[in-house]
Amino acid sequence: MGITRRIFMIGGATVGGGLLLGIGGVGAHLMTHNRINTQRDGHTDNNSTLVNLWLRITPDNNIIVINPHTDMGQGTATGLMQIVADEIDADWSQMKSQAAPADVAYSNGKVFEGFMREMVTPPEWAGNLVENGFYRMGDLMKMQMTGGSSAVRFTGWDAMRKAAAATRQMLLAAAAEKLDVDIASLKTQSGTVVHENSGQSYTYGELAADAANRDLPKDAAFKAADQWRFVGNSIDREDVPAKVLATAEYGIDAEVPDMQYAAIATSGVFGAQISSIDNADEIKTARGVSDVLIVPDGVAVVADNPWRAEQAVRKVVFQRESHANDTLHTEDVVQNQRDALAGELSEGLSTGEAVEGAADIKAEYLVPYLAHATMEPMNATVWMQDGKLNVIAGVQNPLGARQRAAKEAGMKIDDVIFHSRQMGGGFGRRVAFSTTGDEPLSWLVQAVRIALHSNKAVKTTWSRETDTRSDVYRPLVLGQYEGALADDGKPLLWRSRSYGKEMNIKAIAPPYAIPNIKVSYADQPHPIPTGFWRSVEHSQHGFFVESFIDELAMAANADPLQYRLSLLAKDSAAASVLNKVAEMSGWRYGADADGRAMGVALVHSFGSTVAQVVEASMTSNGVSAHRVWCAVDCGTAVNPQAVEAQVQGAVHYALSAALYGKCDLKDGGIVQSNFHDYRLVGLAESPAVEVAIVKSDSPIGGVGEIGVPPLAPALSNALAVTDGVRRRSLPLV
Amino acid sequence: MIQLNVNGVEHSLDIEPEMPLLWALREEISLRGTKFGCGLGLCGACTVHIDGTPVRSCSYPASAAVGKQISTIESIGSEETPHAIQRAWIKHQVPQCGYCQSGMQMAAVALLNDNPNPTDEDIDAVMTNLCRCGTYDRIRAAIKTAAKEMV
Ligand code: FES
Ligand code: FES
Repeated sequence: MGITRRIFMIGGATVGGGLLLGIGGVGAHLMTHNRINTQRDGHTDNNSTLVNLWLRITPDNNIIVINPHTDMGQGTATGLMQIVADEIDADWSQMKSQAAPADVAYSNGKVFEGFMREMVTPPEWAGNLVENGFYRMGDLMKMQMTGGSSAVRFTGWDAMRKAAAATRQMLLAAAAEKLDVDIASLKTQSGTVVHENSGQSYTYGELAADAANRDLPKDAAFKAADQWRFVGNSIDREDVPAKVLATAEYGIDAEVPDMQYAAIATSGVFGAQISSIDNADEIKTARGVSDVLIVPDGVAVVADNPWRAEQAVRKVVFQRESHANDTLHTEDVVQNQRDALAGELSEGLSTGEAVEGAADIKAEYLVPYLAHATMEPMNATVWMQDGKLNVIAGVQNPLGARQRAAKEAGMKIDDVIFHSRQMGGGFGRRVAFSTTGDEPLSWLVQAVRIALHSNKAVKTTWSRETDTRSDVYRPLVLGQYEGALADDGKPLLWRSRSYGKEMNIKAIAPPYAIPNIKVSYADQPHPIPTGFWRSVEHSQHGFFVESFIDELAMAANADPLQYRLSLLAKDSAAASVLNKVAEMSGWRYGADADGRAMGVALVHSFGSTVAQVVEASMTSNGVSAHRVWCAVDCGTAVNPQAVEAQVQGAVHYALSAALYGKCDLKDGGIVQSNFHDYRLVGLAESPAVEVAIVKSDSPIGGVGEIGVPPLAPALSNALAVTDGVRRRSLPLV
Repeated sequence: MIQLNVNGVEHSLDIEPEMPLLWALREEISLRGTKFGCGLGLCGACTVHIDGTPVRSCSYPASAAVGKQISTIESIGSEETPHAIQRAWIKHQVPQCGYCQSGMQMAAVALLNDNPNPTDEDIDAVMTNLCRCGTYDRIRAAIKTAAKEMV
């Protein structure tokens, strides 16, 4: 069926030509789930060799890593190159990367699996709870996802490392045959196979075509960690120079001949569609304006300059259908959740013997809807050419976006050409998948409609206001917590109820040893579109869980950091990062003479463990976060400086949310619109963030999101020390 | 016609006088290193220099730039001859998504031209551009490195 054929075609056409030989068990298993282990095919096209799905070796001995992930600043390409360079035994100067096409062959089952697993699997220690993370596997082939902090740990560590190790074996075998020597007498170094006895050698480029014809080794061993030359080293990211020189191309920078520009005004009420436009004729008289039309969730104006389009769309007078959301306010959503929590709930986790007696410590927490606010607003450029629909956009899932565009245009996916671009921020906004049925690609849908309607090349760009008001939001969540202490001050029981669809139990369960835990949730939907927001449920539930454990510690009159340690196994990753962060920060419990105090939080997410200490105080301007220390256990840190950058960035991302972030609902729409009322932390108020990566033998974990969840609780916990006031809702300012 | 001098080149544009400079640069002259983030002068992604002073071009009418020298990120440095700020930005691996970084660098270049040896407070006061990826720690460090190098 199509798999072999498709890879064949990619080798020939899309990836840039090449001899495609010997795909199969290596790498390819990720997309076919072991159904195809021995596929092989031959196709000579030019003189470079695609040894397997992930690697191409050129005659001049460049090793090209084909990266199925898209860039939003996380440094994936470099991390993958490091892994391959070590395992195949090449020099850094040989390494290149190339973006994979938006094609099924590069859909990433494992990545998606990792994503789903993170969302729905119970913690390991909860034992026999059913793992239901795979029930959407049918969707798998549509996913070429960058998300779930999965690129380096799954694509890289699981797949590419295997592919590179096997490729090295195949190169050795090819050389052994050519030289007619025992393979054991050969070694690899710097992209060559060397026969030391005779001094003969071949470059990988010379061997690639032969190597690709060989059987796949079953037992290609990985290098030991002490042989790594690249993994574990801070290497400059290959995407950085173009961003510094401003030559990197983002979706919004697209240029197509005779391109027009569209601006969008939203209907103003989630779900409500526009029924008619009152002043279309008048709008069309404005300079440069060529079209005014109704699109899903709004109206569009097409003009010959984006500013003219934006000016005109703001003047469109339209009629809107009435909708159940017309009178929706934040208070209604909160009340609705409170009612739901009083009703029948889904059980998330229940451990230990039920404890008699009252839970006398109670807390209700609330976090708001949040927009992603990527610095580059949503945009797509769409046009028809030679019977094909062309799309330029930056997305976290090019294949999903390609499919969505095809569906909207009523075309076959093969008739859509997707030109993937650098993203000016992703954070979960630019995925093409939702668990809720909400449409994260509504901007792409609009762009396709507009281009087809106008029969022109059109770049559709959302204004900041439209972007803020048309997001798929981080869900507003209400959480109710109850606990009781044993005589020794340790928690005796822990109960929580919270609101959320298809909850990730890992995110809502406490990581601490507590005799009786009962975690339940109201598995109900939201009235407005929701989606994945950097760190997904961990951002809300990390705040709840780590605030409540702090409340218990305070009730027990205990140092909150020591209290946590007393509830963790001594040799656990959690204990190790807590000890580390205590050491880095010079942990102290209690406010100093300047009224500054420290707070701590600990969150496992995406296979990694992070503890943070925030030093904060209340000042005349409100809350001030002075310094942040992060101790990270992500197993193997492939590129430590990139890990540091991701964690620092995540802290500032989370700090904006903790201090200022909220999207209020009024009359069915979002009140906030731009950075004056949806504030981001600026440089002056950004705390210095120190990151330490602890040595560990934990499995490799994700990195991009793990710095987010501990920040808000650590900050709020610090403030509670300064003034004894427990802040149970965000934002703090 | 609006006459603009951008990076030393004269452009004669048939645009409305009130069109923000940003859109004239990006779409009429195809200089797309300067970015759009908010349109209200809040984020600084659109920062350019006008007669050496950093300006948020999304909120600056094109007509107001007539007769002045407009410089964009494209004029600051190149792959062969990067500006000291750009070298420092690479050394410290500042960008994440990179979208805010042309505006950031324009703000930083203006700062160093004005004040070759800025303190933390000086940096705080002038670097008011927003970075959603949170690259602030490295921006601070890179400005100090560039300042040392430029002395
Ligand atoms: S786009 Fe000009 S300041 Fe934001
Ligand atoms: S690097 Fe992404 S917004 Fe600054």
